[in-house]
Amino acid sequence: MTVVVTGAGVLSAIAAGVEEFAAALRAGRSGIAARGTGELSADLAGFDFGAAVAARYRLAEPIRRAALRAAARAPLPVQAAVTVALQAWEAAGLHAEPVPADRTGVVVGGHNLGGAYADAVRPRYRASPAYLPGRYALRYLDTDHVGTVSQVLGITGEGCTVGGASASGNAAIVHGCRLVACGEVDACLVIGALTELSAMERQAFVNLGALAGAGANGGRHSDAEPATLCRPFDEDRAGFVPGQAAACLVLESAESARRRGARALATVAGYALRLDGNSLADPDPAGEARVMAEALRRAGLGPGEVDYVNTHGTGSRLGDEAEVAALRKVFGSDLGRPWLNSTKGLVGHGLCAAGVVEAVAALVQLRDGFVHPNANLARPIDGECRFAGGRAEPAELTVAMSNGFGFGGFNSSVVFVGPGR
Amino acid sequence: MDDDEVLDTIRRTVLLVLPDLEPDLVQPQRTLTELGANSIDRAEVVSLTMETLGVDVPVAAFAGVRDIGGLAALLRRHL
Repeated sequence: MTVVVTGAGVLSAIAAGVEEFAAALRAGRSGIAARGTGELSADLAGFDFGAAVAARYRLAEPIRRAALRAAARAPLPVQAAVTVALQAWEAAGLHAEPVPADRTGVVVGGHNLGGAYADAVRPRYRASPAYLPGRYALRYLDTDHVGTVSQVLGITGEGCTVGGASASGNAAIVHGCRLVACGEVDACLVIGALTELSAMERQAFVNLGALAGAGANGGRHSDAEPATLCRPFDEDRAGFVPGQAAACLVLESAESARRRGARALATVAGYALRLDGNSLADPDPAGEARVMAEALRRAGLGPGEVDYVNTHGTGSRLGDEAEVAALRKVFGSDLGRPWLNSTKGLVGHGLCAAGVVEAVAALVQLRDGFVHPNANLARPIDGECRFAGGRAEPAELTVAMSNGFGFGGFNSSVVFVGPGR
Repeated sequence: MDDDEVLDTIRRTVLLVLPDLEPDLVQPQRTLTELGANSIDRAEVVSLTMETLGVDVPVAAFAGVRDIGGLAALLRRHL
């Protein structure tokens, strides 16, 4: 069964909504900055949940009221999930031409999403265990994302969270596709959940040497311009920068989309999610190549037909090198053909959200015919790869691949084909 | 702190948890359930109110509380 994307929503440091995101990507706007304490991060700037809900005025008033009732005091990741779900719901026209509630599913990609919220609540618990809100029993569960989104939108089909570290977003797309393809649901919201690192989680990445700008001064950048420190595929890259982001796709059977008169942004033509058999943060080009090749095989496409790859490209020393080696394995003599860029250089690494955020990035580039710039790519680590430069390039794109690799040997790749083909 | 201040604290907390509510509806003779609070909302009203007042009442003590006036009276005994 053909699975298509009929709606999208996104929230990131550079945009609150798909059209703003497309414009910001085209402009190469970076959301990476130093927090007051000096740590680099691409944070949501001035996010206001009430305003985000009010902006969805096309949706019925009871939905907006339900969103405020369910999430006005929820942790940021849950508010972000509701926000992108409402955007995608509206974009897919599900408010005007609905799919039955029990034929609609929701899959949230992400896990361990409550660390920063636990940091925020802990002082109250320390003051007296009695002051810990009973609601924490619900809020600490990652599944609160599923419960809250389903309550707001009245979704009663299948729902769950899925996890795969930084491949969680792609894992959600894969799982959502399967739910639609096997006929369990007609439409499925897949959400990449905002990952707000707790102080300890962030420090662990610092101590591992994984974060950019985290040299001898303990995770604080020195005097360089913050937006220049995340450098995917550049010789001088020094790690990733965390980014607060969330995104949602509405995946739907082509039949359901046709019935509703919903326009498809793209077809999810192929995907693969495979393990390296390795619990470490140890990227393996062979494993990465395997998922790209398998996703293409399922799509019935050859490497020479790929126009664009949204890379995992975090800006880490080892990770970027492994991905280039994997691309070389898959594309061989066609290595110079597909455009390559990294959205993480602009919006930071959304961690659990990254797969869905970058799917939205890929889809708007397919739709609008451009490749967004690669931030800070002064000296590419490979001379044959066709990396986008410092400015957006017009490009006729039909076939896009989006990669996601996670700690613990999670490799994933998804192939989207634009409606032109 | 007199009883009215306890009641005012409860009222503010209820409105935080149930922002849609008309403030005048939060009266001693009303129950939180009547006002639309579910079990999670009720637990949150209690913990937030205790935190604001700086009191610590054992959970079991709330079993006999019937309405907002009863809640205020119980909290007042622990001030």
